[in-house]
Amino acid sequence: MSSLNALLHKELRENIRNFKMYWIPIVFVIFGILEPISNHFLPEIMKSVGNLPEGADLVWPEFRGEDIFVSLMGQYQLIGILVIILAFMGSISGERKTGTATLLYVRPMSFSQYFLSKWIVVNAIVLASMWLGFFAAWYYIQILFNSVAAGEVFAFLGTYSLWLVFAVTVVLAFSACMSTGGAAGLSILVLLVFQVIDGILGTYWTVSPWKLSTYASNVFGASDGQSAYWMSVGLTAILIIVLVFFGMYMAKKNAAKTLV
Amino acid sequence: MTNLLQVHDLEKNYGSHKAVDSITFELAEGTSTALIGPNGAGKTTTLSMLAGLVTPTNGSILFRGKPKPDIRASIGYLPQYPKFFPWLTALEFTEMAAVLSGVEKRKALAEAKKTLEFVGLGDAMKKRAGTFSGGMKQRLGLAQAIVHEPELLLLDEPVSALDPVGRRQVMNLLKELQQKTTILYSTHILNDAEEMTDQLLFLRKGVLVENGSLDSIREKYANPRILIDFESVIEAERFTALSPWAVRLEKKQVSIDAGKDEVSTSEVVALLHTESLHIRKVELQTASLEEIFMKVAVEE
Amino acid sequence: MSELANIPWNLILPILVLQLILAVVALIDVIRNQRTNGPFIMWIFIILLVNIVGPILYFIFGRKQS
Repeated sequence: MSSLNALLHKELRENIRNFKMYWIPIVFVIFGILEPISNHFLPEIMKSVGNLPEGADLVWPEFRGEDIFVSLMGQYQLIGILVIILAFMGSISGERKTGTATLLYVRPMSFSQYFLSKWIVVNAIVLASMWLGFFAAWYYIQILFNSVAAGEVFAFLGTYSLWLVFAVTVVLAFSACMSTGGAAGLSILVLLVFQVIDGILGTYWTVSPWKLSTYASNVFGASDGQSAYWMSVGLTAILIIVLVFFGMYMAKKNAAKTLV
Repeated sequence: MTNLLQVHDLEKNYGSHKAVDSITFELAEGTSTALIGPNGAGKTTTLSMLAGLVTPTNGSILFRGKPKPDIRASIGYLPQYPKFFPWLTALEFTEMAAVLSGVEKRKALAEAKKTLEFVGLGDAMKKRAGTFSGGMKQRLGLAQAIVHEPELLLLDEPVSALDPVGRRQVMNLLKELQQKTTILYSTHILNDAEEMTDQLLFLRKGVLVENGSLDSIREKYANPRILIDFESVIEAERFTALSPWAVRLEKKQVSIDAGKDEVSTSEVVALLHTESLHIRKVELQTASLEEIFMKVAVEE
Repeated sequence: MSELANIPWNLILPILVLQLILAVVALIDVIRNQRTNGPFIMWIFIILLVNIVGPILYFIFGRKQS
């Protein structure tokens, strides 16, 4: 237990001193504030700035506050995921490449705890950033749009959190498994490209981690397919557990690749 | 003396390349052993296997007589170029190293401070490792290797990368550690080996070609010869003609292979005296460790 | 410039503050470290001139981890 504590302490110090603990939440919060503001003022801005031909009256869809949560999630699905991949792709592979891992690996430390320490800290940073971002958005939505029921917001955020935990686990497992570049490429494939594929071909199935974001937005109204939702949640949870064990195994297997 | 570590038929293959080829040796408790060999001889691979970084292809490792493939809990390891997290201070890193090696959390900080004082980083312990010079990194590397008082210390070229002053300082630290713990270290610098070694292991192309105490290896490869410098070439030639032993003549110098016929210096001097030959110097030469190294590690 | 008055500054201010914090943190780091992937001066310009994205790019690509 004390070695897990020591490793957690190390991860915390690292993320404070390389500023990830600060800049990632700030980025998520900036997007969280920008989304409701730009959606609220966009029609006005377009009217005053854009040289619309006389009589061409653009009809802007009337956004509800709930829609803003969903469109913010859309931003996080691309920018947020990219930030997660780029910020944490080298978590394990980078330590091997620079050789800083060597002096950890020669100690009677368990690779499970090593992987877990990173998994816990990275998830904490990512989830805190995401929740802060949505809370900031929520505050603006209350002012600029309508108030949204807290129960729905928490169900939405809870579901989306599971997807982000999945994303973090994918990135760390690949980082344990291969080089930083490979981890980045495969993470982009699994988290961004598969999302598009699931969007196009996904009408043929209902249970998939890549549908969690859709199911999360369904919380705000159209709640069809409750069982498919829960099965996707279950499948994602199982995949997370499998990936965690895979990451632990690969971290140990690749220990010899650390620079001596 | 009890055996701390027994290594039997240890082997590491990378594809068809045998980095370490079936080596067998023992380390007695409290001794210092030098692993010597040219670059690429398998020194680092051998140490990496003992440190648990590299899985051996074959062979067994016995620690205190018990088969134990993973001896990480009992060792301290210093790689040739230790790499530190640049954002951790020396003290933070050493404390973490202590805890990860099994030192109790509440004792770890005090132990880390004590160790950093010992290696001479007392003033720099609150500084981040990223700002350290090569010599300071080597000391920090030593600190993290000994902070948990391991039974066996594995050091990979501990002083090779240092300047003469740093080398002297680290060598002095190692000599102090030698009193307390068992050390296995690799080096290609023979003076270092000569200075603190009970046992020598010569590696060449992954094969353990020689294993023994410094004295026994010296004796075996000493190749003693008596050198005589004469005043003139004529006297040297006269001596060569008179000599009952096989000699080699080279201008004014004559050398006698003293190992083969067990020629003693006094016999030679006696002969010189009776023939009243004028000499500049008579000398009994034995091979330096450098020569032994060349002989054992390079030649067939 | 009547539009300027219409802008709800109290709503936008937090974004400006966060942007500023982001840029300042990145600047402090880049000046203190002095070591970047690519030219040091280039990163200072990117951080200063590119809103939001500039500091993020620096933290992800410009910052030398070791």
